Amino acid sequence: MNPKEEKVKIITEEFIENDEDANVGKRKKNSKVQRQPRKKQPPTTGPDKMMLEESHLGNQQELVQDEPQTRLLSVTARRGPRSLPPIPSASRTGFAEFSMRERMREKLQAARSKAESALLQEIPTPRPQRLRSPTVKELETEFGTESGKEVGSTQQEDDTQSYARVKFHVSARKIKSKPQVPPGFPSAEEAYNFFTFTFDPEPEEAEEKPKHGDGTHQEEEEGEEEPPTEEGANRMDEEELLHGKDAEDFLLGLDHTADEFLAVRPAHYESVHVRLQREKEMLFIPSRLTVPTYKKLPENVQPRFLEDEGLYIGERPEVARTNQNIMENRLLTQESGRRWFGDDGRILALPNPIKPFPSRPPVFMQEQSIKAELETLYKKAVKYVHRSQHMIGSGDPAGNFQLDIDISGLIFTHHPCFSREHVLAAKLAQLYDQYLARHQRNKAKFLTDKLQALRNAVQTGLNPEKPHQSLDTIQKTINEYKSEIRQTRKLRDAEQERDRTLLKTIIKVWKEMKSLREFQRFTNTPLKLVLRKEKVDQKTDEEAYEAEIQAEISELLEEHTEEYEQKMEEYRTSYQQWKAWKKAQRAKKKKKKQATEEHPEEETEEPYPEEDPVKPSPPEPTDRAAVEQQVRERAAQSRRRPGEPTLLPELSLAGSVTPNDQCPRAEVWRREDVKRRSVYLKVLFNNKEVSRTVSRQLGTDFRVHFGQIFNLQIFNWPESLTLQVYETVGHSSPTLLAEVFLPIPETTIVTGRAPIEEVEFSSNQHVTLDHEGVGSGVPFSFEADGSNQLILMTSGKVSHSVAWAIGENGIPLIPPLSQQNIGFRSALKRADAISSIGTSGVTDMKKLAKWAAESKLDPNDPNNAPLMQLISVATSGESYVPDFFRLEQLQQEFNFVSDEELNRSKRFRLLHLRSQQVPEFRNYKQIPVYDREIMEKVFQDYEKRLRDRNVIETKDHIDTHRAVVAKYLQQVRESVINRFLIAKQHFLLADLVVEEEVPNISILGLNLFKLAEQKRPLRPRRKGRKKVTAQNLSDGDIRLLVNIIRAYDLPVRKPTASKFQQPSRSSRTFREKHAASPDTRSPTHSADYPLGQVLVRPFVEVSFQRTICHTTTAEGPNPSWNEELELPFRAPNGDYSTASLQSVKDVVFINIFDEVLYDVLEDDRERGNGIHTRIERHWLGCVKIPFSTIYFQARIDGTFKIDIPPVLLGYSKEQNMIIERDFDSVRSLSEGSYITLFITIEPQLVPGESVREKFDSQEDEKLLQATEKFQAECALKFPKRQCLATVIDISGKTVFITRYLKPLNPPQELLNIYPNNPQATAELVARYVSLIPFLPDTVSFAGLCDLWSTSDQFLDLLAGDEEEHAVLLCNYFLFLGKKAWLVMGNAIPEGPTAYVLTWEKSHYLIWNPCSGNFYGQFDTFCPLKNVGCLIGPDNIWFNIQQYDSPLRINFDVTKHKLWKSFFSRSLPYPGLSSVQPEELIYQNTDKAAAAELQDRIEKILKEKIMDWRPRHLTRWNRYCTSTLRHFLPLLESSQGEDIEDDHRAELLKQLGDYRFSGFPLHMPYSEVKPLIDAVYSTGVHNIDVPNVEFALAVYIHPYPKNVLSVWIYVASLIRNR
Amino acid sequence: MAEVHVIGQIMGATGFSESSLFCKWGVHTGAAWKLLSGIREGQTQVDTPQVGDMAYWSHPIDLHFATKGLQGWPRLHLQVWSQDSFGRCQLAGYGFCHVPSSPGTHQLACHTWRPLGSWREQLARAFVGGGPQLLHGDTIYSGADRYRLHTAAGGTVHLEIGLLLRHFDRYGVEC
Repeated sequence: MNPKEEKVKIITEEFIENDEDANVGKRKKNSKVQRQPRKKQPPTTGPDKMMLEESHLGNQQELVQDEPQTRLLSVTARRGPRSLPPIPSASRTGFAEFSMRERMREKLQAARSKAESALLQEIPTPRPQRLRSPTVKELETEFGTESGKEVGSTQQEDDTQSYARVKFHVSARKIKSKPQVPPGFPSAEEAYNFFTFTFDPEPEEAEEKPKHGDGTHQEEEEGEEEPPTEEGANRMDEEELLHGKDAEDFLLGLDHTADEFLAVRPAHYESVHVRLQREKEMLFIPSRLTVPTYKKLPENVQPRFLEDEGLYIGERPEVARTNQNIMENRLLTQESGRRWFGDDGRILALPNPIKPFPSRPPVFMQEQSIKAELETLYKKAVKYVHRSQHMIGSGDPAGNFQLDIDISGLIFTHHPCFSREHVLAAKLAQLYDQYLARHQRNKAKFLTDKLQALRNAVQTGLNPEKPHQSLDTIQKTINEYKSEIRQTRKLRDAEQERDRTLLKTIIKVWKEMKSLREFQRFTNTPLKLVLRKEKVDQKTDEEAYEAEIQAEISELLEEHTEEYEQKMEEYRTSYQQWKAWKKAQRAKKKKKKQATEEHPEEETEEPYPEEDPVKPSPPEPTDRAAVEQQVRERAAQSRRRPGEPTLLPELSLAGSVTPNDQCPRAEVWRREDVKRRSVYLKVLFNNKEVSRTVSRQLGTDFRVHFGQIFNLQIFNWPESLTLQVYETVGHSSPTLLAEVFLPIPETTIVTGRAPIEEVEFSSNQHVTLDHEGVGSGVPFSFEADGSNQLILMTSGKVSHSVAWAIGENGIPLIPPLSQQNIGFRSALKRADAISSIGTSGVTDMKKLAKWAAESKLDPNDPNNAPLMQLISVATSGESYVPDFFRLEQLQQEFNFVSDEELNRSKRFRLLHLRSQQVPEFRNYKQIPVYDREIMEKVFQDYEKRLRDRNVIETKDHIDTHRAVVAKYLQQVRESVINRFLIAKQHFLLADLVVEEEVPNISILGLNLFKLAEQKRPLRPRRKGRKKVTAQNLSDGDIRLLVNIIRAYDLPVRKPTASKFQQPSRSSRTFREKHAASPDTRSPTHSADYPLGQVLVRPFVEVSFQRTICHTTTAEGPNPSWNEELELPFRAPNGDYSTASLQSVKDVVFINIFDEVLYDVLEDDRERGNGIHTRIERHWLGCVKIPFSTIYFQARIDGTFKIDIPPVLLGYSKEQNMIIERDFDSVRSLSEGSYITLFITIEPQLVPGESVREKFDSQEDEKLLQATEKFQAECALKFPKRQCLATVIDISGKTVFITRYLKPLNPPQELLNIYPNNPQATAELVARYVSLIPFLPDTVSFAGLCDLWSTSDQFLDLLAGDEEEHAVLLCNYFLFLGKKAWLVMGNAIPEGPTAYVLTWEKSHYLIWNPCSGNFYGQFDTFCPLKNVGCLIGPDNIWFNIQQYDSPLRINFDVTKHKLWKSFFSRSLPYPGLSSVQPEELIYQNTDKAAAAELQDRIEKILKEKIMDWRPRHLTRWNRYCTSTLRHFLPLLESSQGEDIEDDHRAELLKQLGDYRFSGFPLHMPYSEVKPLIDAVYSTGVHNIDVPNVEFALAVYIHPYPKNVLSVWIYVASLIRNR
Repeated sequence: MAEVHVIGQIMGATGFSESSLFCKWGVHTGAAWKLLSGIREGQTQVDTPQVGDMAYWSHPIDLHFATKGLQGWPRLHLQVWSQDSFGRCQLAGYGFCHVPSSPGTHQLACHTWRPLGSWREQLARAFVGGGPQLLHGDTIYSGADRYRLHTAAGGTVHLEIGLLLRHFDRYGVEC
């Protein structure tokens, strides 16, 4: 809004207030408007446009004048002259303007007249005035102006004057705003006019103005039109004329009181007749009468009914008849209306689109039914039971299901106790049943009826009543009928014959039975057959019979004639042929004759063709008499003779049975036998007995009534349902007669709807009885001479019904079809019966298709569409039944990438595997952002592992048994680990919240007390190390510290000269051999050492994870190194989590070597100048400590026995030590070399905690409570001592520990070796046990728990840890009659472990089950360091003595003050059964396999040694190897003791000039890898003397149960010059 | 092969009439989505607000998805439970909300509801605790015919979720 406008607005407001002002405003505006054309001058306005504007204007005026009053014409007429004022001289309007105005005026005039004439035309009849306004409107529309708006405005004007005024203001404002006013001031003239002039009111204009808002052009036009009036107003001559009126008009326009604006009119009414008449002209009302068909169809066309022709046309939508008629009539009047009609003369229509059911389900009340998925369940506020939350495999079944089995009874059709009469009776009953069944079906009657019907059909078909059908089809159908008649007749005849024979047999059997009863003079069965005769009307019957025969004859004749005709046809053709041939023949003959006349010689050759066609004989016409004869014969045979009464047999049980006292003895016995028998049924569900019926006595009629219903609550889908029939005779045990398999009911069969069915059974048992009973399975005869024998088997019928139960809410308790697809199918089933075809019982698609074809389903019927589709899908070969529905439609279409591409992404795969905690990727730290940065080889290992998972690798394991065991172990491991992973997630509050204990007063006091303590700065104290949790560790953070302190009793070198000694090879006894050993030593041991070196220069090499460190060399057999070696530790895959650390399988090898210096100088002369020595190292022995032990123990501190090979060539034990020793017999048992070590991990790691998950158990609850109590009490007293009462078996169940102990037989082979020496046998047994490979549970089960396998499992698995070894050994000892206990305690280096304690006659022996060694109770070198508890086969004793070292405790468990026993007087031993097997069965190991394995191992080891020496040539000394191979079995038989000297002597004898170093290694066999490691750790291959030769021999000694003892002899030989 | 990281936390809940609250939550996605790492569902601790009305859980959510399509954008479904003084748990509300689809940090308020049940059940709930629960938890986020369910409004669960998207632009999805 510019300021000008603002001003104008103010002015216009004033204008409203008084007329003068209004006029001023008007003037001003008009003057402005007036100026407009001058400046713009739009002369180019097209005539049509003008026209438009004009008409507009005209309308305007018309309307305006029309509304207030009806003086339309007069006003315009008056207006005409007014708009034609003389042009004033002062006017600046040009001629052009004037002429234009002229033109417009003319046009206006023309338009007006035209409108008037149109009006006149339109309304020829006199009409009420009121009607005019609509017509005017119409007129306007004809002119193409916007009518609605203007009409609206006029009406409004009519309604409220005030509105018009407002409108006026608005339009005035608009007009003012629009013209382009030059910026600045009004012109002088304007200004003058404004102030001096008195303006005429311009009511007309005011009324016109509202319309001007339509466009600027209009305004301009208006402006052009206006000036004359203003000009006129200027001049006073015209003013007089107009002034008064205009002023009046203007006033009226503003004043409501003016009467002219209102008119009272009568209500507008149009008479009905007029209206109807008018409507008749305009409207067409179609008739409601039915349109005759001929009208709807093209001329001369018969309506055609598709449905009659068999085409499916669908159901038409229901439309009322009248509506249809109306529609048809209407269509017919339309152009080309006929195309709307179909061939049948009805309107074309699609099938009814309305579904028979509402598509939107009705809204139910809330209480009534809520959809299943919306169902809510009121749940009580209940505390969570945590335990059940984490149960495995608690896949809750959707509910329980119930199968109702109703067993109503049992009938024997044959039983051994049947008498002959019973046999017959059973037969009779059976026949009668058959008869009844046949009678009920009455097939003969049915077929007869059918025959009749067919005949009728043929009759009617022959009648030429329907001319429109072609003759062909009739003939065809008749032929079809006839063939069917033939078939039916045949069938009927057969049926009738069967009926008759059946009847005859029944009568025959009955007769036999009667004769039998007479013969034996008693009756056993109440059966009685009554034949009822039904009289028939002889005459009608005969007539019917005759008619039937006649009909048949005629048919047969017809048939025959047909046949005859056919044959005649054939005959004719063949005859023609024959004739032709004959003719030809004759012609030939003629020719020949002529020829023979010429050449008579050739006559002899008569060319007779072979296929001389015989003259066909005409077929014989059928003889009616013969046919009749035939028919009558057959009828006589199979049919009842006419007039013969129909026989109806009736079997009743009305007969009386002869009482016992009138029977012969045998029969009485039989009856008594029957009475003694009773029968019951067992119900087996999925091969498990679920219930059984009561035992019922067998009745005399061999029927048993049970009438029991069994409700089987089931969880699994039933696979089989079996009834077992058991029979008991007297008090003997029941015998199984037969099994009856019941079919599982269809899911549709529910209780109440299931019919009682009979299932037959039979048994193949042979029973011979010594009384009248015929027995079963044995031949018997009815004849006196024993001919015509019968063999009958026990058989019978069980009547039962099986059905699904119905739950209380009416839902059948049927399990879903299979466990996998519970959801969809059942839902689908509910949804649509047909769509469920593919899912449930109806699976035979071919049958379905056949049925569909036979029942002539209309394939076009949409109702059948799903069925048809299914059939077409199923029968087209692809077994793709779309029984799914797509959940996410259009997913495929909108996918970014395909599935394959997504799966191919290496980054995603890596991320996924990492989050799945797959071992290979568990500790993958950062995953590259781009695929291209990920190497393909990252996955290689993983993929390989996946591939190999199911392949038993025989490469690593060599023998298959172990491979299988390894696989099995892997599976057990996985399942156990899964179990623990679940258990691990079950946290207690203490696991999550660590609460610092608030110091109580005593601790505070103690601390205060400590302050006052004396300071002793010189007293060293061990400080606790800080423990490190595993998460924040990385490679290189953890080091293994091995502190090697000293060693004792190392073997010393032996002079090579000792070859002359021949020690006595006396066999020593067990007790003697240790004591005797010193005597064999040579006193001249230190005579000559090479180069005068000391006895031995040992050093220690520690290898761990292929890192090797070694100490400096010390001297002497008791060296002291006191060195700390530091070895880095790397966790597998960089995973430092507890679980991963626990499963580290690496072993710390501590090898002791002797460093030997050899002079390599060739020439003695150079000795003065230089030293040329070669350092060789000779392996002396090793100590192996598994990392897991170190990890769990945190530190290992102690003296360990060095594992020294039994034969160490060139070395012997230092004698002085032995001499110094105290010769205590027990003490000497622990002879050997020892090393003192301290091993720890820096920083200290927190060992994983064992899981306190409680396992389910089959133990008595009381016992479990007692164990808990016992353990708690023990832990309270001695928290550090191990107390074990229950253990977990391999299936994850808690088992009481004493159940593991039970005498078990060791292999007989071992017992036979030393039959008289129990001690030796014990040693042998211990050795056998130690040969079973050791596999710690902590490794296999990731340190989570200890699983105890029973001894047979252990022997099968051939792997176990200390517990299994100890249990087996203890069981063997118990078998050998020793008093033996399991000792639970701590040992070094194992940590918590199990040993075996035995009571020898005077002392206790402690056995290490894994090494086979034994120690006396007071042996200081016994690895068992403390004892927690003793476990016997029937009790547990906890050590409550002050000390727990075996040296210091008393093993007498009868002393209650020293040993707390589990079972005591208050809780007596309940006699727990053992979990161990009754007896262990040992298979002998295949010797050949062992030999093969031996060869393979030798080959592998040789290859390995060559691999380890890549830069040197490896020569093998065959001669030495064979010697060694020969020697190894000896070692095995002597268990590696005391043959060293013999062996040495022998070797020296054979390989005289070799310097020889080597040793046999002995190991239990588990895999090849440990063997290779062991050989590697000895370092034999490290010799790099150029002319070195090697020898390697392997010997495997097989023990029963695949326990293999492996000996490996490695040696290096250097030739002495 | 676009990726979505959902990192955030379930801050807590307000407006519940019960006091000791905890929340079970889960993330549901369509078939096109693949969880690369993270845990799909979980449960918070029980929080008893001492000051103020809001129960704070501050329960972390950290999920990494790969997707091959936009359909089935992840949505969170929540169940708020209350624990009474006897340690019994009862349902206080179900709720669900979509994980936002634009990257950045979002503060979400998820309003919850619980089934009302019949008047008898309501009465029982008022006096002995417990209450009607949905038999099928997926009704929470699958909007089947929930119109038949009569529910009462529960409180609001507040979530703070940060979203990282990757490679969506490659497939013509601007974000």
